[in-house]
Amino acid sequence: MEIPAGECVALLGPNGAGKTTLLRLLSGLIYPTQGEIEFEGAKFSRSSIELRSSLGFLAPSEHLYENLTVRENLDFFTALYNKRASAASVDEALVAVGLERWAGEYVSALSSGMKCRLSIAKWRLLNPGLLLLDEPYGVLDGGGVDLLEAFLKSHCRKGGVVILASHHVSRALQLCDRALILHQGKLTFDEPRRDPWDSFQRAFADFLPRGHS
Amino acid sequence: MILLRHTTLLLWKDLLLEIRRRESLMTMFFFGTLLIFVFHFAFDLVPERIVEMAPALLWLAFLFTGTLGLAQLFEGERGNHCLDALLLSPMDRGALFLAKTGFNVILMVIVEFFVFPLFWILFNLRSWNLLPTLFFIAAMGTIGFCVLGTILSAVTLRARAKELLLPLVLFPLMIPVILATIRCMENVLRTGEIGDAMPWLRLLLGFDVIFLTVGVLIFDWVVDV
Repeated sequence: MEIPAGECVALLGPNGAGKTTLLRLLSGLIYPTQGEIEFEGAKFSRSSIELRSSLGFLAPSEHLYENLTVRENLDFFTALYNKRASAASVDEALVAVGLERWAGEYVSALSSGMKCRLSIAKWRLLNPGLLLLDEPYGVLDGGGVDLLEAFLKSHCRKGGVVILASHHVSRALQLCDRALILHQGKLTFDEPRRDPWDSFQRAFADFLPRGHS
Repeated sequence: MILLRHTTLLLWKDLLLEIRRRESLMTMFFFGTLLIFVFHFAFDLVPERIVEMAPALLWLAFLFTGTLGLAQLFEGERGNHCLDALLLSPMDRGALFLAKTGFNVILMVIVEFFVFPLFWILFNLRSWNLLPTLFFIAAMGTIGFCVLGTILSAVTLRARAKELLLPLVLFPLMIPVILATIRCMENVLRTGEIGDAMPWLRLLLGFDVIFLTVGVLIFDWVVDV
């Protein structure tokens, strides 16, 4: 499987298909027992510390310290990624996700949707080449979804890659250029988006609930 | 240089979280002082016997309080999968090891700073002038304890009943550190100087350096277990 720069890919499949496992493999949180992962021409391994700065994993409501403030979280992660983020750029990222009033609040005081917005601000600042997302739609309100999708589109326009695992098929398909379907750990479908997309409808029909047309 | 910068950053974050939550330090402090009071009431010791028993009693208190700290060491990272966030980052995982070790050393040294004088007062010891030397030896032992403890705390991170498993794995491996520290402290209390106990101090120093180096090198694998 190859994903060129600037592509947005929807990773779909039933529960237990291996979507999150694939994302964890791609992010380097776990390592493959077979096969290889290459990123920007370099093999991804334990020693690829530099490559990690080009990888982002947006897990809604996660990967944030509850007892640090919103601003402290952003400062901490930008420093950890060896990026220099000025107070102005942090402010700008917070304004972009609508959290400017919450900059001094602890993350524990935020709702799940607001934490997801903060994660968007975090990855906006860190600007990774490859951004992985695991089920981001569940906690966001309408405005949050628009915000996320605008961010992902802008990320791809700038040459970044997005891989989005979701059960919100219609939303994911509207956003992405390509769909992958995983089933029992195997890639069963891999096609660029087209309209009409009968092959996708057929491939995905197996996972629809009974009685669904 | 980057390793040092990341270590400082992680240590700053851990200390800030501890200042705000006050979980580990308070628990360790009260448990440590409580143990000293229990020893005071349990042992009715004459001054000669106290000199023999003091190092062992003190280290028993430090071991138990330190184990409490180690059990909590990665708890802050488990919530919200923050450990994953750290492992995703372009940080040398050795920095995580150094920061966690440093954090636990700081907590234990703070506890020891209060427990030592309390022990001297309760057991009516007069050798107050020996306290700085004894404190130095205890700090060396504490580094050894925390270095090995951090490695094993990461190994048992995802284990069930890790609070039970950690001391079972840690204490047997800590025997060289416990023995060296107690022998050194005993010698200082008896003779007023390190003198004959120098080989034990060298053993302690060697243990600290070797396991600190090993920890930095292998932590990448350890934290993935």
